[in-house]
Amino acid sequence: MVWHIFKKDWKLAWGFVVAVASLHWIAAFVKFRLGVSGENEALTMLSQVLPGLSIFGSMFLTSAIVHLDAIPGVKQDWLARPIPRGSLLREKVLFVMATVCGPILVANLFLGVANGFGFRSAFFQATIFAAYLFFFAILPIFALAAVTRNMTEAFVMGCGCAFLIGASLTMYEFANGSSHGTIGGVVWSGVGWIGEAVRLGLAAIATALIAGVQYFRRKTILARAVLVGFGLLMLVSPIFPWNAVFAVQRRLSAAGNSGAHVQVAFEPKLGRYKSSSAVALAEDRRRGGSENDADVFLPLQVAGVGDDAMLIADRAEVQLARSEGGPEYHGTGETFELRREGTGTPASPVYQKIVVPGSVYRDWKDRTAQMQIKYSLTRFVLKNSYAMPALGGNERMPGWGWCETEVNEAGTALELHCLQQGKGPICGTVFLENTVTGERNPPRSMCRSDYAPYLDRPLPDSLERFGTMLPFRDPTGLAKFPVDGAQLAHARVVIRVYEPEQHFTQSLTIPLIKLRDWDAE
Amino acid sequence: MIRITDLHKKFGRFEALRGLNFEVPVGSAFALIGANGAGKTTTIKVLMNILEPSRGNVEVLGVDSRKLAPRELAQIGYVSENQEMPSRLTVAEYIAYLRPFYATWDRELEQTISKQLRLPLDRRIGDLSHGMRMKMALLCALPYRPKLLVLDEPFSGLDPLVRDEFMEELLNQAGEMTVLLSSHELGEIDGVATHVAFLDEGRLLFQESMGELMGRFREVHVTLEQAAMAPREAPKEWLQMRAMGNVLTFVDTQFDERSVGERVRSRIAGVKEMVWQPMALRNVFTTLARAARDGQA
Repeated sequence: MVWHIFKKDWKLAWGFVVAVASLHWIAAFVKFRLGVSGENEALTMLSQVLPGLSIFGSMFLTSAIVHLDAIPGVKQDWLARPIPRGSLLREKVLFVMATVCGPILVANLFLGVANGFGFRSAFFQATIFAAYLFFFAILPIFALAAVTRNMTEAFVMGCGCAFLIGASLTMYEFANGSSHGTIGGVVWSGVGWIGEAVRLGLAAIATALIAGVQYFRRKTILARAVLVGFGLLMLVSPIFPWNAVFAVQRRLSAAGNSGAHVQVAFEPKLGRYKSSSAVALAEDRRRGGSENDADVFLPLQVAGVGDDAMLIADRAEVQLARSEGGPEYHGTGETFELRREGTGTPASPVYQKIVVPGSVYRDWKDRTAQMQIKYSLTRFVLKNSYAMPALGGNERMPGWGWCETEVNEAGTALELHCLQQGKGPICGTVFLENTVTGERNPPRSMCRSDYAPYLDRPLPDSLERFGTMLPFRDPTGLAKFPVDGAQLAHARVVIRVYEPEQHFTQSLTIPLIKLRDWDAE
Repeated sequence: MIRITDLHKKFGRFEALRGLNFEVPVGSAFALIGANGAGKTTTIKVLMNILEPSRGNVEVLGVDSRKLAPRELAQIGYVSENQEMPSRLTVAEYIAYLRPFYATWDRELEQTISKQLRLPLDRRIGDLSHGMRMKMALLCALPYRPKLLVLDEPFSGLDPLVRDEFMEELLNQAGEMTVLLSSHELGEIDGVATHVAFLDEGRLLFQESMGELMGRFREVHVTLEQAAMAPREAPKEWLQMRAMGNVLTFVDTQFDERSVGERVRSRIAGVKEMVWQPMALRNVFTTLARAARDGQA
């Protein structure tokens, strides 16, 4: 019966299916034609519009498929027919998977294979991407369509849901800002994928419940209540407590005890932070928040990171308490990154930046206080190292991706454009090296705090595009690079790939501190 | 075939059905009549398990309507004036889609009916006229020889020619089928229905066989010796009483030829002459509808 209903739905919806599938395929083709560097303006514009359009098309198509045999209502002919409800539900899920997820999978498979990645890995990544979209967008739309009569109703309800999600995220941002980043903080962070996974799980459970209630009992009011209930539950997920979520990430992290050797200590001897220019400091403040905010920089000495390793502070939770007791300040400091490239490199100092609200700063600047910083840290270790010619470089690196190099139009920097399947690398340093003299330009870090085990974004496709600029000439003439333009013919681009080894927490207590002592100079 | 017990259906605060009780005997052609909004369609949708009752029970083919499964639905034909079918399929495609769901589908019968109804099989359902769509709904309800055929306002909006074609086909195929038919057009069930139930504002006013109903309704004309006036205390079974000159006219809803003279003379003085005539079903219906509206029924 499932196949029989499937054929009927195909007769009714094939035009829509082909149209949406074509959008996905055209989007994939445009992305393929763009290549690694993506310099064609018309194609770039198309590549920005088409993926979103095709995902919206898939969402509308999902709704249309469910509405071919709408559940709420009393006029549908199928309600009086001996059509097994279980068969109908199975058919709808199968039809959505075949006609909505199928073309997405095919488009991404094409994109992977056409870009020179192996069939198996391209298929694997395309499947993961299609599965992610299925849970992220298709299932919730399926649930929404199951409790609505037609596209108009679903669209209105969908807009309502989108508004609620937007409003709740705005409220969350506002609350998080008001509490100096201490509420949750999981969203948009490296461990945000855990909250996202919980949301996807809830969406799957909610859809299963709603589909069961609707297809087998046709209780639309109850199904809508389930939808609203789970929706509210999902809206709560951004305020998951950081410590609990990071603890989950710690449990999931690779084996190793390297974090135990890392020691973060307050080192007053390093002196105050010296800003490169007052203009830059003012600019920092404008970017960082209110002009009334005050920046405090604490000198830290970090030991035990190890050679060819990197330490990223995913979060620094700051607590300031008066030594005589009384009210406390609770906020967050900025994240930082510490690199130890090569062996025996001396540890460079790190300044922990803390943006303190102006009123708090005025109140605390001259008081002696106790400060405690609770760090959530991740230690990265070097996994691979690659090199490619600086000029005309075109290299495929298994742990990094497919990269090309070209000199920018101004002739001041080398542009590195890369493409990788799936999530791509999350941490690496890139620098120019003269192959003859061995001289190197300062490395560029391409690290981000993102520990999701899969590509957790719905747009644009299953490929990750990334890159960086490697400057070799300062147009103002102030800076001099060890590897300059004249040496490019003998230079190579070195890419060092780091992977997270362990997540851990560490606490730093400074018994007596005055904020005024640690302003930038 | 169908047993309805204390059936209530509420939509929010509005009570569409208020304690219906009736039975549809096997082999009958049962007409559910009532004005628009009386609750006929709601009753049918409840018994088809399209709506759930708020209270009470409906048994269809011996099964609680809430538990109607494909096995029972395969024995029920359903035709409704507002049935939504996939408009982008052709008639032939939709029939082909339905066939496998019915183990007893008779393709020869399907072809016979389709020829007799002169349906354009290659036309999309969305392009069919209302009359054609109703004929198509009938075509989709008969070839599997259902035990029960439920027709919800099947003649609504049909021109006389289509109505006759529809009816002819229905009568041809009825056989031993039980038919439940709802209508507010009495002329349409005249000569078809064997039983009738009258609904008004969600209540059942009566249920009886057509023969009994037509037998107990008479329009009575009483000529008096003096100017006619309605009696102060007329029995409640006398409806639509009106006087014109010295003639008093009313509808007797409990007519009995043997006792009518005595009943009239005991309440009205100076009776000179009395005649009565059978009523058309349409007139019976309008009499009852008016009485219900005026709170007399």
